[in-house]
Amino acid sequence: MKLYRPVTVAVGVLFVLLGGLTRLLQPDSVYEDPTRIITRGAIGEDVRYFDSTVTVTRMRFAKSFAENKDDSPRVDTEGVFVAVEYDAVRGTKNPGNNDVTLTADDGSVYKPVTEIIEASITFAEPGFARSGALVFEVNPSDVVGLTLDVHTTSFFNVLNQDLAIDLGVPDEEIAQRSIEQAEDQYVIPDSVTRVA
Amino acid sequence: MESLDDVIDAMIADRVIHRHRRKWLIALALVIALIVVLLLTGGFKEHKGRAVPTFDAPTTVQAGRFEYGFTEAKIIRRPKTDYSAAEAWLQVYFDLKNIDTETKAATSMQGRLLRLVPGGGAELIESNGASCHDELNVVVVYGLPSQPCYAKFDVPADYAEDVVEIAVLAEEYKSDEGTMGADEKPYWHSAGVPHSVVRLKATIETEKDE
Repeated sequence: MKLYRPVTVAVGVLFVLLGGLTRLLQPDSVYEDPTRIITRGAIGEDVRYFDSTVTVTRMRFAKSFAENKDDSPRVDTEGVFVAVEYDAVRGTKNPGNNDVTLTADDGSVYKPVTEIIEASITFAEPGFARSGALVFEVNPSDVVGLTLDVHTTSFFNVLNQDLAIDLGVPDEEIAQRSIEQAEDQYVIPDSVTRVA
Repeated sequence: MESLDDVIDAMIADRVIHRHRRKWLIALALVIALIVVLLLTGGFKEHKGRAVPTFDAPTTVQAGRFEYGFTEAKIIRRPKTDYSAAEAWLQVYFDLKNIDTETKAATSMQGRLLRLVPGGGAELIESNGASCHDELNVVVVYGLPSQPCYAKFDVPADYAEDVVEIAVLAEEYKSDEGTMGADEKPYWHSAGVPHSVVRLKATIETEKDE
């Protein structure tokens, strides 16, 4: 029996070529994680997220927060709360679900508090915009370089897009001043949906 | 036609087989007797004590990414009413702190990390997770001081123990085996391995009718 028939060799060569072709499909630039692109932004900047737009409109430090002005209980902390208000304009494509965390320069990762239900950036129907607020409990000694990270969780078979939005705490002095000036009580604004 | 040699060979073989037959039979009988005795006495079961240390409350236990400062335990009974059957649950109080120096990530405690040991070989009862300042499954932030929390365990309505034992499981920060193609980046394995047992004195409280 002939082990290396020309067809066998041809199939082998075909596989090698296919391997090379899949390399061509990979993105041109080299990222830390080749399945995701991180888009960076800052407060007030419209950041593209798939074909939608996310804007962080405001960031506030607060010593406590409440869900609404009147009857909801006040939530306190030994640390400090960071409230992030955003505005999300939905494009036609489904932006899927996302995980939202805050990261700081010393490596801390903060998650939205459990007391409110909103724990990720929520999009309205296509063509509509929605504003919302996220509240994080934060360690006051690690807030320098606070960044809002939006991590897409829905799609694992496409090139995903993550957001990293700088919340404007560049150094220790500004951090301490912001925490000293933290408002006594932050009231979570009602989320508003409007035509974009 | 069989030759004489064949006949002699057959005779010798016969002798060889039969020479030690009784000894073999006795040995076989002994083995069977041994098996029967072992089966009747419960076999070679290794009777092990508890493999993890036991501590008495109040005590502080560092297991995985949490530090628990156990303080007290309460059995709370709700008497039966016209509309509901009697029920009881155990509340174990502890100060919870996030000590995750590996990822420094805020996280909430999973209920299965604390388990009630009912004793007598019964199945362990998982908790419902940590409730802190009246909020279930609170996200505990790394770097903040410990906060008082409690965990609930569902127990039978007639449950009454002076001392309860709580098993603490520790999550492990390690990587998966990379040889089979898994990502070798380490992460917190939430399954948890047994870490210790904490013994707490329990008091019984009965909820009053409203």
